[in-house]
Amino acid sequence: MERLNHLAGQLNPSSKQAILEKHPDDVVIVGAYRTALTKGGRGSFKDVGSDYILEKFLEAFLKKTGVDPTLIEDVACGNVLNTAAGASEHRGACLAAGIPNTAAFVALNRQCSSGLMAVADIANKIKVGDLECGLALGVESMSTNYGPQSIPKVDKHLQENPEMAKCLIPMGITNENVASKYNISRTAQDEFAARSYNKAERAVSQGAFKDEILPIESVLADEDDDDNVVYTKKMVDTDEGPRKGVTAASLGKLKPAFSSTGTTHAGNASQVSDGAAGVLLMKRSLAEKKGYPIEGKFVFCTSVGVPPEIMGVGPAYAIPSVLKKTGLKVEDVDVFEINEAFAAQCLYSAQTVNIPEERLNLNGGAIALGHPLGATGTRQYATILRLLKKGQIGLTSMCIGTGMGAASIVVKE
Amino acid sequence: MLSYRTTGYNGYGVQYSPFFDNKLAVATAANYGLVGNGRLFVLSIEPDGTIKQQNIWDTQDGLFDVAWSEIHENQVAVSSGDGSIKIFDIMVPQFPIQNYKEHTKEVFSVNWNLVDKGNFISSSWDGTIKLWSPQRQASILTLHGNTSSASVNPHMSETNPPKTHNQMGRSSAVDTTNCIYNATFSPHSPSTILSCNGSSHLQVWDTRAPSPLQMDFIAHGGLEVLSCDWNKYQSSVVASASSDKSVRIWDLRMLPTITSQAQSPITAYRTRTATPLAQLVGHQFAIRKVTWSPHSADELLSASYDMTCKVWKNLNSPNIQSSSFSTMACFGTMHLHREFVIGCDYSLWGEPGWAASTGWDEQVYVWDSKRLSH
Repeated sequence: MERLNHLAGQLNPSSKQAILEKHPDDVVIVGAYRTALTKGGRGSFKDVGSDYILEKFLEAFLKKTGVDPTLIEDVACGNVLNTAAGASEHRGACLAAGIPNTAAFVALNRQCSSGLMAVADIANKIKVGDLECGLALGVESMSTNYGPQSIPKVDKHLQENPEMAKCLIPMGITNENVASKYNISRTAQDEFAARSYNKAERAVSQGAFKDEILPIESVLADEDDDDNVVYTKKMVDTDEGPRKGVTAASLGKLKPAFSSTGTTHAGNASQVSDGAAGVLLMKRSLAEKKGYPIEGKFVFCTSVGVPPEIMGVGPAYAIPSVLKKTGLKVEDVDVFEINEAFAAQCLYSAQTVNIPEERLNLNGGAIALGHPLGATGTRQYATILRLLKKGQIGLTSMCIGTGMGAASIVVKE
Repeated sequence: MLSYRTTGYNGYGVQYSPFFDNKLAVATAANYGLVGNGRLFVLSIEPDGTIKQQNIWDTQDGLFDVAWSEIHENQVAVSSGDGSIKIFDIMVPQFPIQNYKEHTKEVFSVNWNLVDKGNFISSSWDGTIKLWSPQRQASILTLHGNTSSASVNPHMSETNPPKTHNQMGRSSAVDTTNCIYNATFSPHSPSTILSCNGSSHLQVWDTRAPSPLQMDFIAHGGLEVLSCDWNKYQSSVVASASSDKSVRIWDLRMLPTITSQAQSPITAYRTRTATPLAQLVGHQFAIRKVTWSPHSADELLSASYDMTCKVWKNLNSPNIQSSSFSTMACFGTMHLHREFVIGCDYSLWGEPGWAASTGWDEQVYVWDSKRLSH
């Protein structure tokens, strides 16, 4: 039998073994954490900016990982809604949190994948030898920055251009397009969304997020009886998104949000949230030399373009792309974290790639937990590294506004 | 083209005699080598173009490779699935004249020393290479391919971080990491050995050195290396064949040695990635055997699970020595086999270019590599 297995392995070689190997020039993850995700507009971070969330998070992150901050040579921070992607205030937050000014900083914005792009940016710089150690961050304050000001300004001469118009379609409408084009029924979406809530509810009750969430202090501004603003401090350590006892039937009562004939509503779309997450990456040789615990290995990340009017199909193209480029098969991946921007697009993407649901978003996704746009890519790393067992392969992916998908592969060690 | 059918036995290895221009030894195994007996054939190519069986010996387990003695014209060594190595003599029917049982798993290759001629080596799935003399009852030397084993090679364990070599979390059905699929003596030096293993490493050994491992690099990006061979004309050039469906050609002078790695001021990750002189792509499945031509510095033969042998040559001007390997390309494909081709060998005799091949279709073919369809 062993001889037969040898032969089978030679005839159908899998890259899995090669990917699981450890080499000194690997890019490894030394720490991946996040804040609790809070409700946009009325949650615990409603009165603080993204820079404040980032600063408090970084303080906690540096303390938790115990990594010498002078090792950090570059910081990439994903953010979608801040002006200029937060290039100035997030740099300031890094310095305020104790990262020395010798570390460089770059603000990244590829919409909902910005956090993942920060991970890929740092990892690729380590791969080519630019860096030995870098920090990938993602942060979003939808409370303060989500609204009319986030609608893009387009030159009046281009406004009629049909391709331009596709890139301006509201995300909810793109999801209605996906749902109607690929016949994803309201019932299927509501069932998927309810499962996300139920998984998150179970994860919260079992304390599954305890390890990945770093509690940080927030400040709430409330008015007292005399209309004076009163500031109160509050420790934030629990996700505010998950609800108990959500069922497909209870979601079925909600009205469509984007179109009266549509299927997308507040209960089967991702929540508006605030939060931050970070991934500390370094070359394995450095981590081993310094004796830092290695959580996982970054393998590969890729982005693909798709039609903007059905941007939600992004993972259905990005996942096959990342699997092909790494030589892996769907069966080789043990856990999938696919962002649930909307139930319809996530369900469609997972089904197209034949991802079994028992390996998808095991602790719930953005429908239940929230989707702080720029932080989601790094949030997925914090989550998936707790879901994987040693030697298992994980995949994170998301759809991206204006028509893209991104996906990455990580190995738990 | 001549042929012979090894009825009931699937071919694994074939080699031309170094003493007689008409003799072939063929190692075979029943039931595709998965379970059951083995049989060694010595075949004779007759003047009338037929191939006749001269001797056969049956063994308890399948035979996976064969090597003629370079010192005794009647003797031939075979390696077996039960871990044994046997030497047969054409004048002694039925039984081997030597039977060595030291390897604990399948012995996948056996190779005679072309320079010293007095010894030969075997490589096994048990992760070791053993050096033997036909005069002795036990092996002379054992080399351990798993370089993280400190007892074998303390020098190595200092230079490489042990954590990195401690490969955790393998979950596949079989772990082929330590399987040494092939080990072969340099035709230029009596003590230099090249070996390849299931974790993609090519290793160069010097049996005279206190720490025999001289070089160790990843040759096929993590995929198994199933065969390797020394160029017969350039002492530093070797070829490796892999389940990644490619043959790669290496100049060992361009690769870091173990000692230079330890002392180098350049960080390890920069020296670790080895670059081949050439990569020969064309086979559709894993390549099981690669062998350099005895007549030409820039020609080699490969045998693959895709049921073909391919001849690779430098098709450009033969005068450009410096680039002769990088311009090698597929010269022709031998399509006669109807199952996996496992073994092949060039003839040392007569008109250059004749070759023999054997495989799972129970056929031995003797054919002219110069007259192949392109």
